[in-house]
Amino acid sequence: MKSFINNKIFIESNEYTYRVEHLTLEGTCSTDHGPRNVKIKNLLVDKYPVTNQQYSFFLKKTGYQPRDSQRFLEHKLNKKKINLPVVFVSQNDAIAYAKWVGGRLPTDEEWQYIAAGPKYLDWPWGNKFNPSLCNHDSNKLESVNAHRKGESWCGCADMAGNCWEWTAGIHNDGNHQFALLRGGSYFYAPDHWHVGGGARKNNYHWKLQILNEGMNRAATLGFRCVYDAK
Amino acid sequence: MMQNKFTDKKKSIDFSLGNLDLSLDLNKNVFLKKLNFIKNINNELFIIRVENKLIPKNKYKIEKVSKNTDVNFTVISIDFSQNFENDFFKGRISFVQKKKNIIDFIFQLSARWYKDIPKKVLLKFPFIINLHKNKNFLKPGDIFDGKKRIKKGVWNLHEYPPSIISDNLGIESLGFEFYDQFPWQANYNLGMSEAISSENFEKFETEVQLTQEFTDIILMKIYTSFKGREKIFSLWKENTRKRYDLRKYHDSNNRWIKKNYLQHFMFAYGEEAFDYKKIQFKINQIIKEGKQFGGYDSILFWHQYPRLGLDESNQWQLYKYLPKNYKTIKKIVDICHSHNIKFFIPFKPWDIRSNESLDSHAKFLEKFIKETNIDGFFLDTMSSLPESFLKIQKKFPSFEFCSEGTPREQRQIETLTSSWDQIGDIRRNFKVDINSNFFRFLFPEHPLNLVSRWSVGSDKDALIKRAAFNGMGMVIWQDIFGCWLPFSIEQKKKIKSLKNILKKYHKYFYGDNSIPLIKTLSKKIICNEFSNSFGKQKIYSIYNFGSNKINGRILKLPLAVIEFKQIYGKKVNIQIEKKQNTFYLLANLDANDVILVNIKFQI
Repeated sequence: MKSFINNKIFIESNEYTYRVEHLTLEGTCSTDHGPRNVKIKNLLVDKYPVTNQQYSFFLKKTGYQPRDSQRFLEHKLNKKKINLPVVFVSQNDAIAYAKWVGGRLPTDEEWQYIAAGPKYLDWPWGNKFNPSLCNHDSNKLESVNAHRKGESWCGCADMAGNCWEWTAGIHNDGNHQFALLRGGSYFYAPDHWHVGGGARKNNYHWKLQILNEGMNRAATLGFRCVYDAK
Repeated sequence: MMQNKFTDKKKSIDFSLGNLDLSLDLNKNVFLKKLNFIKNINNELFIIRVENKLIPKNKYKIEKVSKNTDVNFTVISIDFSQNFENDFFKGRISFVQKKKNIIDFIFQLSARWYKDIPKKVLLKFPFIINLHKNKNFLKPGDIFDGKKRIKKGVWNLHEYPPSIISDNLGIESLGFEFYDQFPWQANYNLGMSEAISSENFEKFETEVQLTQEFTDIILMKIYTSFKGREKIFSLWKENTRKRYDLRKYHDSNNRWIKKNYLQHFMFAYGEEAFDYKKIQFKINQIIKEGKQFGGYDSILFWHQYPRLGLDESNQWQLYKYLPKNYKTIKKIVDICHSHNIKFFIPFKPWDIRSNESLDSHAKFLEKFIKETNIDGFFLDTMSSLPESFLKIQKKFPSFEFCSEGTPREQRQIETLTSSWDQIGDIRRNFKVDINSNFFRFLFPEHPLNLVSRWSVGSDKDALIKRAAFNGMGMVIWQDIFGCWLPFSIEQKKKIKSLKNILKKYHKYFYGDNSIPLIKTLSKKIICNEFSNSFGKQKIYSIYNFGSNKINGRILKLPLAVIEFKQIYGKKVNIQIEKKQNTFYLLANLDANDVILVNIKFQI
């Protein structure tokens, strides 16, 4: 399989009104969903989620081993999967990679701006859902460059569907720790009690309540990096 | 013995069946003139409307009045017929007595339709409507508060308690049950049951589909009592329970669940349950904190929801992802067992994938029991026990199931031996009402744990009072899927006190002779009576639902009192007064207070 280069895309500093629409079935998502004004600094952002190939290279170069390896890369990296997004990584695993490449995870606010842009698009490609432009409700991950027409306003691919993406930070409401995931995934569970799956809108995040690393990793959960730019 | 008097001239019939005295006028249609202490009723038993036209009274013809007496029962039947336009109707009214205090009233009807094309037929029962209007008539679960009838008894199963009418002294009573076991209006009886509980019963007409053969339209059981409405409840309870196979509850192996007074809901994802630094569950801390509530009897571990569905992992796989996979659960179970605490895990019926079945989940469960030694399975969102799981109990006799919803149907009540009594509507200004749960009294062997997950502040106070009033355990659930809603120190103390009382007086609270909403001497007080069949000792749960303090006689007691003691609630001055060989309980009870009083009687 031929590999490809994960380009970086420049995002120019801007301000936008952050507003997330996130209704939990039960419980709460104790973060400020806006609307509030957010300033985005100059950024470089990965065009694609980090792939298996990139993550393999990182492992090879750094010898990274998570302190708790339960479910770490459970899908097993191999040559056939090089262009699939890396999954079964915890937020710590993602941060370790990001640091190594000189970047970091995007904040929840940055991620939304990268996906929706100054025109506040509902989906990366526009305002109408189009399942053919993303990996939605299927049974497996696809190559991160499989849906070129589904790219966001700035050229970022795979921002809806395929795999959820970690954002930066652990939120703490005083009694619980949680992280915010973005974009949805290929997997669309059948019941309303399940995590709402499939591709998700730009202004949606899901609250992943943190537990041990085995629980913090999933077959549908990957990440992409951003890089502070001048 | 039955006294039957029927004359052609008068066309009236007076008879006694067991404790029921009736007088019917058969001049035009069938009129009920007298029913025990209810006299001058003068209401038609039924009115038939065919395609919006009432059949006139003079169209009815009494064909036959008959009685049939056997060693086992007595039947009185009145056969009638009527021609109306081009159709011909036949009917039969029967009173069947098998026991002297339970008489069946059966109303049957048939039609021979013109050109065999059925018409729309609506039936109305004026005599029941008249009873319904009587000032002493109580709809199921109702009491009088001095001004009006208010609902203080609730039930959520497919048995329908009787309406009750009593004489002015509240001594002689009649109960009317439209027996049914179905969840929705599948037959005429359920329609009647629902209608009689509603405000607009006088407008209610039941639509019937008639054929040439007799159709049962109404099957009404009439219960008679000379010992007040309490006896009506007891008769209904006895009669209802006779249909049930309750052996499983009395199986000597596995009924530890009866003493599951406090169940802790251990939501995995929070500071209460999880140490984020040590990456381990705080089971010892939870057990320690549980002592503030009087000690947990069981713990329900919860980590699948709201996490399931993030990927294809099913509910069992999520246990493998815990630290050291199944061993984490095993370790927690062992710690719980060392404190004599039982351990539950939940089952999610909504997470059955296309390649799975209830049987396959039963296999997972069996494996899980063997590996972890868990004690019970909590049936999330369910109120029934699947047959696949029932088999598990044959292999593991002490294994228990507890469902989120109280079982409603006979088979489920027989097989599923514990459940939550869950109340509350999510965030719709739900107010916890303090009333009697009739299920609790109909099936005292089925332990219920009260829970209202979103209730806070004064609603949590009310919840504890409701548990005390019904003599039932609770679910201690403070972390509601990531929303921290703890009990206060004062509330914990009250729960601790309640648990100790439930434990100490277990045989009375779970006794087979308990009755909800017994008659009180104050219109703003409701009371439940807990006792076993020996009746030497009873516990009364008393609630002042009014807005003023009540000071004085609260209950007339059934027997001479030897000893009395307040065992729960804010200390109040209670006294026993004896007057002309009658004993009364007196109390000085604040508004909105619940107290429990234990009384020993002389027998």
